[in-house]
Formats: sequence, C-alpha cells, structure tokens
Amino acid sequence: MMKNTNNNDMFDYVIVGAGIVGSSIFSALARSGKSVCMIDKALDVGTGAAKANSGLVHAGFDAKPGTLKAKLNVLGNKMYPLEAKRLGLSIKKTGAYVVGNDKEKLEELLARGKTNGVDGLHLLSGSELKAKLPMLNPEIKYALFAENAYVISPYMFTICLAEEGIVNGGRVVLGFDAKRIKKHGDIFTISDGFDEIKTKYIINSSGAGYNEIANMIGSEIYELEFRRGEYFVLDSTEKNLVPSTVFPLPSKAGKGVLVTPTVDGNILVGPSSQLSDDITKTTAEGLSFVRSQASNMIPSINFKKTIRIFSGIRTVVGDDFVIEKSREMPNVINIAGICSPGLSAAPAIALYVLNLLGLDTKIPAAKKIKPYVALSSLPVSKKNELIARNPLYGKIVCKCEGISEGEIVDALSRPLRVVSVDGIKRRTRTGMGRCQGGFCLSKTIELIAKKNNITLFDVVKENKGSNIIVSGVKKS
Amino acid sequence: MRQTDVVVIGGGPAGMAAAIESARNGAKTIIIERNEVLGGILMQCIHNGFGLAYFKEELTGPEYAYKFRELVKKEKNITVMTSTFVTKIKGKTVTIVNSSGIDEIEAGAIVLAMGARERTAANILLQGTRPAGVLTAGQAQKMTNIDGKLPGKNIVILGSGDIGLIMARRLTLEGARVKAVLEINKTTSGLKRNIVQCLEDFKIPLLMQTTIVEVVGENRVEGVYISAVDDNYNFVGEKKFVKCDTVILSVGLIPETDLVDFADINTRTNGPVVDDFMETSAKGVFACGNFLHVHDLVDNVTLESMDAGANAADFALAGCKKGKKFCVIAGNNISYANPSFVHSGDGIAKIRFRLKSNVSKKWIRVVSKDEVLAKKFVMAGLPGEMQTLEVSREKIKGDILLEVEG
Repeated sequence: MMKNTNNNDMFDYVIVGAGIVGSSIFSALARSGKSVCMIDKALDVGTGAAKANSGLVHAGFDAKPGTLKAKLNVLGNKMYPLEAKRLGLSIKKTGAYVVGNDKEKLEELLARGKTNGVDGLHLLSGSELKAKLPMLNPEIKYALFAENAYVISPYMFTICLAEEGIVNGGRVVLGFDAKRIKKHGDIFTISDGFDEIKTKYIINSSGAGYNEIANMIGSEIYELEFRRGEYFVLDSTEKNLVPSTVFPLPSKAGKGVLVTPTVDGNILVGPSSQLSDDITKTTAEGLSFVRSQASNMIPSINFKKTIRIFSGIRTVVGDDFVIEKSREMPNVINIAGICSPGLSAAPAIALYVLNLLGLDTKIPAAKKIKPYVALSSLPVSKKNELIARNPLYGKIVCKCEGISEGEIVDALSRPLRVVSVDGIKRRTRTGMGRCQGGFCLSKTIELIAKKNNITLFDVVKENKGSNIIVSGVKKS
Repeated sequence: MRQTDVVVIGGGPAGMAAAIESARNGAKTIIIERNEVLGGILMQCIHNGFGLAYFKEELTGPEYAYKFRELVKKEKNITVMTSTFVTKIKGKTVTIVNSSGIDEIEAGAIVLAMGARERTAANILLQGTRPAGVLTAGQAQKMTNIDGKLPGKNIVILGSGDIGLIMARRLTLEGARVKAVLEINKTTSGLKRNIVQCLEDFKIPLLMQTTIVEVVGENRVEGVYISAVDDNYNFVGEKKFVKCDTVILSVGLIPETDLVDFADINTRTNGPVVDDFMETSAKGVFACGNFLHVHDLVDNVTLESMDAGANAADFALAGCKKGKKFCVIAGNNISYANPSFVHSGDGIAKIRFRLKSNVSKKWIRVVSKDEVLAKKFVMAGLPGEMQTLEVSREKIKGDILLEVEG
C-alpha cells in the first residue's frame, strides 16, 4: 500500500468517515477556505450507508416537530436542487405518496408536515388518486402526496462532494484505518499504525463505526442500534412501474417498504428493517417481507425483473440525530445515529456543524468540479463531436448500460483516485445493469490497473482484501 | 446513413451462419459485432466438442469460429463491422456506435442474433453477503481462457449447466480445487458427456438437490452454507459450511431480449415469438441462436441460424411467401416448441423443441386433426437436449400438436 500521508500533515479539521454526511461537511469546510482533511478506512468514499439506501430526498412531514430530524430534513430538502446544480448531478422531482386506509393518520401526517414547514402536501382519494397512481392496489383508498420529494444518486452526491472539497483545497485520505487518537495540548494525532495525521478539531461522522472512533478520542459513547434494510433493484425495463415514490403509512420501525423510481431509471423496492449487527447481508426473510409488502401496494410489480439485491445498515440512536459538540473532549463534534432522513438532511447537517464550530454558514462561491457526463444523455451531434475527439467514447464496454471506455477512463482521471470495480460502477454505471458485469468485468479491471499503474491482482471489488483475481494460469 | 438488404446483429455462431446464408441467397448483408473479432462466446470456449454434427470433426470453440470467419470472408456480399454496438432498433433502421461515431443502417430485413446472458446471483436471489469471488461461469471462463487469470483457488460451483461443468474441469487443470458442484434439481442441466468428462473423470463431487443457503465473507468469499432441498426446493436437514474463496454460478442463460419492445416475447423461452420462417411478430425481423432459445450444441445454432438468414434474404429481396398461419401446441411431456406458428404452403417447417422429462424408447409425433404429420423414435431423450422434427408444409391444414406418445 502506498504511503498516504506525510508526517507534517497538519489540519485544522479532520473528518472521520467519508459518507454523505462527512463529505457534505468536508465540501462545506473546504469551500469556506478551511484546512480540512477527510479520512476513511474504505478505499472509496460513500461505501457504507451512503451507497445503500433509498436515494430519496424526503419532503420532511414524517419527522416529529422540533427534532433535528425535522428541522434538518426540511432545510436539506430546500437545499438539494441547488446542491445538484452546483455539482452537476441529476435530481428528479418525482414527489412521494404515503398511501393507506387510515385517513386520520394521513391527516395527522399532513398536519405534522405543515408544522414542520413542508409545502406542497395534498390529501388525495377516489378518482383523483386513481388518476395519479393507477397501479396502486385498488383497496387502498387514500394518499398523502408530497410535491417536494426528489430522487437522487446518494453515492454520486457523496463522490462529487468529496471531489468538490478536493478541488477547493481539502484532502481526502482513503484506506486510513484509524487505530489510535492521542491529544497533546490542542493537537490531536490520528494514527493508523503507519501514518499520522494531526488536527485541531475532529468531526466524528463515522456512521456504524462511531463508537470505535469515539472510544479512541475519549468522547461520548452512544447506544447504537443497527437496522438492516434489504432492497431489490429492478431492471430499467420496469421504469414506468411507478411515477413517484410510494410509501405505506410509517410505523415505529421506519418509513416502511417503499417502491420508487431511481434517478438512473431503475425501480428500487425496500427496505426491510431488522435489528441486526452491522453485516450487510441479505436474507430470505428480509427479502420475502419486502416482496409481500411491496406487492400489497403495487400488485403489478414483477420481481422476476430483479437485477440486484443488496442490504444497508442504518445506525439509530434513540429518536433523533445526535449532532453536538463533545462535552467530554473539547474541539470534537459528535455525529451519530444518522438514519433516515440522513441523506435528505446531509447538506443542512453540514451547515449545522459549521455553526457548532463557530464558522460562518454563508459559504462563499467556490471552484466547481467538472460534471460527470453520461454519453447516453447527450444528443447525437454532441456524441459524434466527443467521439471524433476521442474514439474511446465510441467503444462500448458495458453493454447493458451502454457505457464507453472513454467514460470509464474519465472516471479514473478525476480528483479522487478510484481503485475498485465498485467505485467505477458507482461513477459510470458500468456493471450496474442486468448482466451485473458479466461481460465487462475483465475490461474494467484492466482499465483500473492501467490507470493506477497497479497489477490486475491489486484491483479490488470494494475494500482491502476484496481482490478479484487470485493468480495467473499455469505457464506453458 | 447506410443501406443494405439484411443487417445481422451479433457476430457469434448464430450471426455468422445467418449472414453467410443471407449472402448466399443474394442479399447484401452487414454483420454488426460489439467485440473486436467475430466468434462471440465461442472464443472463450477453448475446450473441444464443437462441430461434431456440422463439420463431422471435433473442434474447439475458437476453431469452430475460425472456420466460420473464413466462410464469412469468402462471401463478397458480407460487410463485417466489429467493435460496433447497436444502440437502437426502430422499424428496420438500426442505430450503431463505434469509434467513427454514430450512424444508422436502413435494412430490408433484420436478423437478431445477440445471444444470451448468464443468470446472475441476483436473478437467483443468492443470500448472504456480496463479496468479491462470486461470479458467473462465463465470467470465470473469460478470465481464465482469454485473460489468463484465475478467479480463485477453492471453488464451489452452483448449478450443473454446461459452462459450469466445463469450468470445473478447466479450473482443476489450472490447479484450483473444485470442492463440489451443487444442483438444486433432481436432474442435471448439462450434457451427459460433460458430467462424465468434466466431473467424474476428475472426481469432483456432484451434489444433487443441494444448494447454497448463504454466502459468507465480507471482502472476499470465505465460504458458503449449503443445504439439501426437497422436491419443492425447501431446505431439509442441517446446513453445512463449506470453506471456499470462490462461488461460480452456472444457473442458466437468458436470451438478451430485454430491450426488444417491438416484438412479442415467448414467456417460456424468454426469446421472441417466431413462426416457421423464424420471423418475429415484427415484420421483416428474424431471430435465431441463443437469442431465440438457449441451445445445447453450437451445431444446432448454426443450422437454425442458416434458415433465419436465408429467410431474411428472401424477405428483403422478394418478400416471404407464406400460406395460412396455424398454432403449434406443446403437448404431453413437451417443455416448449419453437416456432409458435407454422404456415401451410411449400417446403418444410422445422419444429425445434425440448422434453419436460427423460424419455426412453418413445415416439414423438406431430398431430393435426387426428392425422400424424411427422414422428420420430427416441431411444433416450433428456430435457437438456434440443430435438427437431420436420413437417412438410403441404400437410399442414390446421393447428398442430407436438407430443410424446403414451
């Protein structure tokens, strides 16, 4: 492994944990001109809960009024369209329906939404509901429609925020598995046993790993509860199944199993909600729960079109987010229990943290990242122009998603180094389609190795130890 | 914009055979292939056993492909476009992209020969974690035979499909240890000769009615829990842990028809619905090879695809002359039959079909209005093998039923 840091690496702020929350704070601090570094033990940003969730920006009617969840969700929701524009990412205002037969409960949600400051909520029933959601189980009579709900790619936001932080002077150190954190005077020294990083402030946004880091720092420990959510991803052939996100009425375990279009044109169904350890496995029980719940709402759903199953872990601490200055250890910010609506709240969490740090929450205009461009989204003339300039754009590697070699090389040439097949998958959608990399895996591995100047054996699927090729064949 | 009589999409064995026969029938023909060379999946099938039926000699996959590439070269009417990808088919206009840019080809007829893809871990809802080391047999085959790299050292293979069996032997020869091949069904899906030559000869255990309960391992596969299943696929008995670093899936192929929204799809085969001219429900669009239904032998792909190519050429140059249209019904112990429709008229209609279960010493026949139109005697027939029966079109006067006697 290459050396990640220099002994003199000294920052004002170090963020531990490069999820959507960490990356949002990282970008905000870097754009504010602060000296900031974000570290993560993984080899890419956004490999935890940030990559395995519903990809929704909730309107904000669900959270209990007065909580951080309510406040930051509603603010985050208002911020997302501008975030997307700044980062050059797609965001689709699909709206969301909560459906059910308990009209009183839906009215309660509506009232709660109004208290939280959510606009564009409507109670629907009868022919109006049928016209909007003809695929809904006809036994379901009512729906609360929230206009201002969006679908986004949670990992692309994480990646682009991290890149944005880098182009604005921040540093990202990946594969840095913190083992020890010591404080001398005002300076923390974080070590992974090989390298050290020094900082004045630590922001602990390490998600499921919060307590391990807090232990090293000597800051507050929380009772973390892990809830595993299992999902189905359906083929893009099913993209017209539902026009908007459809939820059942929420329960104590969460917002329930939803059916939603994704920003990339698939259908996502899930999550289950099982108390578990933090292993992201799928189970027969979890999936069959998801399947029956979803089929109850949308009977026409075709699970034969499943192209991927996955599970993610959400970390829960009591009823609300924990975002606070540590009382035990000065100059530490504790961020824990960022379960749903964590993605929706992320940009607002960043501002909240700036405020906790005594910084100006008005972030000045900063350098922009070069937007990711999917060739398939361009008009023919523009595609031809690109291919004429670089013929690799005409060489299709991933046939299911129609991704060219040029796009993969571009993803490998950005501010953040990519060493994993899943990293390329998230950035370009290579291997994200129905054959799941059946035809393009070899080529992807080859391109990653070439660009990083490593051997094919060093290319990983995701984390350290997830190498794909174990050896060569026998020599003749 | 280019123009041609016939466009063949896919340059594997099906596409090459279709193009050759199309060209021989006088049609200007373009083959579009996304890889750099013609040959398709044959190029990674370096084992032998190809060509016994068609060339009467035993060839490897690349040799079989080479012979057809040479035949393609001889046809002046064929233009080959490699490293070219089809992005859209609309009517009989095909949009392509390659390193020269985006272009359109307007054709008189289209032959779809895009083959099949492998079923994935998600398709069979494989439970557990999703570490490195879970791959399909075809992926493993490409890695080993084309890239010269091994996907693992201690391997469990799920499914007894032919590619899985071939890879069990291939990886054993490369020094890997194949701990077991698991088959959830009571019968294997691969050819008998592969069970013998790839597993039995190498003492690789084949565990019938057994499957993977759960994959274990966070970064790389560390093992699998396996269990026996009953006839309804419920787990029975205790699950057992098998240590391994790789899980290879050989659990079937699916014709790549996902984006075909212009023609009817046969829900049994996942391929398009075709008639006895191999024409889909979209006029002038023909289909063959694994794109139409998954074959057992490449030789059968070749023969079938030649018919498709000849018919496409006829359509483009003169228009197919068809008689009255009738249904083909799969009867007793027939899993499915292709085509779905036949016509009265001249020539011969070939019915290709698979059995539902093993058959020994039985007649298989085609019946219409109590009259037997064709029949054949089968000594020993397996569900994995493709069967053919030929029916003279002049005898066809109504819907036809295909069935195993008694």
